Amino acid sequence: MSTREDRDRLELLQGTLDLLILRTLRPGPAHGHAIAKIIERGSGDELQVEQGSLYPALHRLIKRRWIAAEEGVSENNRRAKFYRLTAKGRKQLETEIGKWDRLARAIAGILRPASDAEQP
Amino acid sequence: MMRHTRALADLDQDIRDHIERETRENIERGMSPEDARYAAVRKFGNVTLITEDTRRVWIPLWFDQLRQDAHYAVRMLRRNPGFAATVVLVLALGIGMTTAVFSVVNAVLLRPISYPQSERLVWAATTDPVYHEEIVPRYDFRAWRAQAPSFERMVAYVTADNTIATTDRAIRARVARVSDDFWEIARPRLALGRLPAPGEPNALVLSYRLFEADFQGDSSIVGRAGTFDGGQVTIVGILHKDFHFELVPPPRRDTDAVDVEAYVPLEAAPQDTARSRGRTVSVVAKLKPNVTSEQARQELEIIRARVAQDSPNAYLDKMPLQVVPLRDRWVGQVRLTLWVLLGAVTCVLLMACATVANLLLARASVRRKEIAIRASLGAGLARVLRQFLTESLVLALLGGAIGLIAVRWGLTILVHAVPGAVPRLAETDIDPQVVGFAVMTSVATILVFGLAPAFSIWTTELQEAIRDGTRMASAGAGSFRIRRLLVTAEMAIAVVLLIGGGLMVKSLWRMNAHPPEFRPESILIMKVPLSGPQYLEAQPRHAYTDELLRRVQAIPGVEAAAVMPHYPIRTGLDVKGRRRQPQAGIPIPTTLNATSAAYAKAMGMRVVRGRWLAESEPTPVVVINQSLARREFGDQDPVGMQLSVQAIAPDPRVPFYVPIVGVVSDVKHSRLDTAAEPELYVPYVHVPIGSGIALVVRTPGDPVAIVPTIRKMMADLDPAQPVYDVRTLEDALTDSVAPRRFNAFLLNAFACTALLLAVIGVYGVIAYSVAQRTREIGLRMALGAQRRDVVGTVVRQGMQVAVVGIIAGLAAATGLSRLMVSLLYDVEPADPQTFGFVAAVLAAAALVACAVPAARAARVDPLDALRHE
Repeated sequence: MSTREDRDRLELLQGTLDLLILRTLRPGPAHGHAIAKIIERGSGDELQVEQGSLYPALHRLIKRRWIAAEEGVSENNRRAKFYRLTAKGRKQLETEIGKWDRLARAIAGILRPASDAEQP
Repeated sequence: MMRHTRALADLDQDIRDHIERETRENIERGMSPEDARYAAVRKFGNVTLITEDTRRVWIPLWFDQLRQDAHYAVRMLRRNPGFAATVVLVLALGIGMTTAVFSVVNAVLLRPISYPQSERLVWAATTDPVYHEEIVPRYDFRAWRAQAPSFERMVAYVTADNTIATTDRAIRARVARVSDDFWEIARPRLALGRLPAPGEPNALVLSYRLFEADFQGDSSIVGRAGTFDGGQVTIVGILHKDFHFELVPPPRRDTDAVDVEAYVPLEAAPQDTARSRGRTVSVVAKLKPNVTSEQARQELEIIRARVAQDSPNAYLDKMPLQVVPLRDRWVGQVRLTLWVLLGAVTCVLLMACATVANLLLARASVRRKEIAIRASLGAGLARVLRQFLTESLVLALLGGAIGLIAVRWGLTILVHAVPGAVPRLAETDIDPQVVGFAVMTSVATILVFGLAPAFSIWTTELQEAIRDGTRMASAGAGSFRIRRLLVTAEMAIAVVLLIGGGLMVKSLWRMNAHPPEFRPESILIMKVPLSGPQYLEAQPRHAYTDELLRRVQAIPGVEAAAVMPHYPIRTGLDVKGRRRQPQAGIPIPTTLNATSAAYAKAMGMRVVRGRWLAESEPTPVVVINQSLARREFGDQDPVGMQLSVQAIAPDPRVPFYVPIVGVVSDVKHSRLDTAAEPELYVPYVHVPIGSGIALVVRTPGDPVAIVPTIRKMMADLDPAQPVYDVRTLEDALTDSVAPRRFNAFLLNAFACTALLLAVIGVYGVIAYSVAQRTREIGLRMALGAQRRDVVGTVVRQGMQVAVVGIIAGLAAATGLSRLMVSLLYDVEPADPQTFGFVAAVLAAAALVACAVPAARAARVDPLDALRHE
């Protein structure tokens, strides 16, 4: 059962989850379960995200028109809702990746400074 | 909106599919089906929470909550239709009445005069101290207009009832004779034709109403010739239907507020160069921009001084001059009445709010358990308050809507019932300001009284409420006390209003207390203007009157037929041998009634001293009424004394003495609400002045039946004379107090509403108290109390509240009714009869209100009550 704490943890990752979803959809459309699996595996099973939390994120992205949803049929002929990246979303993804890289470099610069001198 | 519905529609399905897929994967990995599903669900997370969060992406929380609240509110109200209906109706009553009065106030007081730049219009007049009229001599008007630079325009006008005749009909209408500037000031829209050109003589302009009603909207009358009081005119235009004559009409004592329906030019009358009291007009002027009334007044004073030098007139020069904004002059008379009404109706609204608060608080107390549970499950104070507020809002909006509908009906009734009582009442309508006012009132009501229950709940200990039901009675004590106080206040207000209404009703009743010989319902009055050049001299008028009387008296069923002037004639008079006070250069005006021998019989007058007029009086004699006798002679016997009556003197400069031959009792023949005026009666043949006559006919029963006969007779005598104002004396007298009746009607409407609300209040409080104490009652009955005792307790509790309120109300009324003195007639402000009656009515009503709950208390089954939680 998810508690309030879990939800707080989710809040922190909200923006990041959105980014991951967008990236996952770059090669092509996928349904919700597939997206969850790709994120899990792609992170080397490091990110154990509560699968359900995908759905609010997906709807956020739909609302901002970065992805679009449509009915489709999955690989074993079952009904599924597919999500695909829009042009706007594609552009947004590039922007976000750029920002993330800069952020990661900046943090790494502090955590692993060029000089070997230890900071107290 | 559409997007979110689409997006959310499949959410449940999508989630289920997702979990389904995960389950199948788990099964492929080797888990058992139950384990697979369990793991999948765990991995997914809290479906409810997720669904909720997803919804939040599209629909903000407050919106969803509002929808829920509204839905819940409607459901709660549907489950308690009696409660909801009572509250909505009470609100509708309060809001409706307030809005109705407000729309009247809006139309009469707040709406500006519709002529362009009406804020620059002023009323300029000198006040005649003797006749109490505001007039301007024509001579002065011409001087003012020519010489005063402060004014852009100045119009002189008189209004009178005149006869307009075309080839096929003759009608009587209120006509305004206006100088040229009137059209510049008013700038009316026209429906047909054109306005008169400046200086164009004999141009007649009609109002739309007259055009429709009396000329059947026949547009061919434009350009047609007609007569106006005998003189030739041409109809040049018809005014637009929204145009009204909004300049102040000169005050007339005996006519009602009739609209001006036709306009002719004020004659230039160049031969009239004398400056006299006789030829007067009313004056309205338009100030130039940025000129104040005071500046204008000073200017006019200067001009008057100049005029006084050139053409002095002792009487005119002494009269004080005033220049006031036209709006103030127009509404001055009714302002007080309307504000009083607004005050009264606000009281009613407050009472309605109090009653609603009462009912809401009572209901809230019953729902305390529900609220406590909701609160403990996580709803914050704000949430609970919001829910209460929503319920109250729904009630308020319903109440306001119904109130508005009722206002529309109410206004229609008002306008048709008493059209003449309040100026511009006919223009009252529901406009955006009024609707806005109604909405604002509803919302204000709600904010004040919708929150009260919520707060009262919150202050009690919620845990207690869930745990222990018996705590309910004591914990509600605070709110109960407030509600009892509210009901007491309601009773007090109801008492005050009912006493006010009762005093006015008694006044009206006293006004109608006539001596038995005076039967106004059997007296018919028909007026004939005798207009036209052929009736300018006295002789043709007298000849007409002689013949008419002769013919009418001969009709079977006529007990007496007489005449009197159709407008009162005022005259100065002196008593022979009495020295006049030096300072009173002007004799006191008295009403002169040029009448005939049968008048006393027709009006039911008693001869108190001497004799009445005989059929034939070769020399002029006079009979006076008791009021005049008292005024001039005190207790002395007036018979035989000589009076100098200006109006009948052949030469007004030479005193002309006539003997008093008798004194008769007073009768009211014009106004119901003033004591009979001092009056003298002279045979009409001896009165050289005057114009039209009013035929006075007395019949044994209802005189209306012989009206057609008399009309035919008059038509035979002279077909060019219209007969107007045909009604019984009773109707005329009743109409004379139309404003009073209007006020009394309204006040009593409020009072009855107040009574109703107070009764509902008492019922609400007592019923609630009984419901709360069911257990206690059961207990007492089980311990031996009789049903009688239970009923007694309940009634005593209710009457306690009521009696305190009644006493408070009586005390307040004693003080407040003194303010009403000017509205009362022959009734003391502290009239014990009225006070006692009202107290009794309210006590009885309170008793009735207690009866139902008391009966319910008596029917309590002790076993049931004790078992019930």
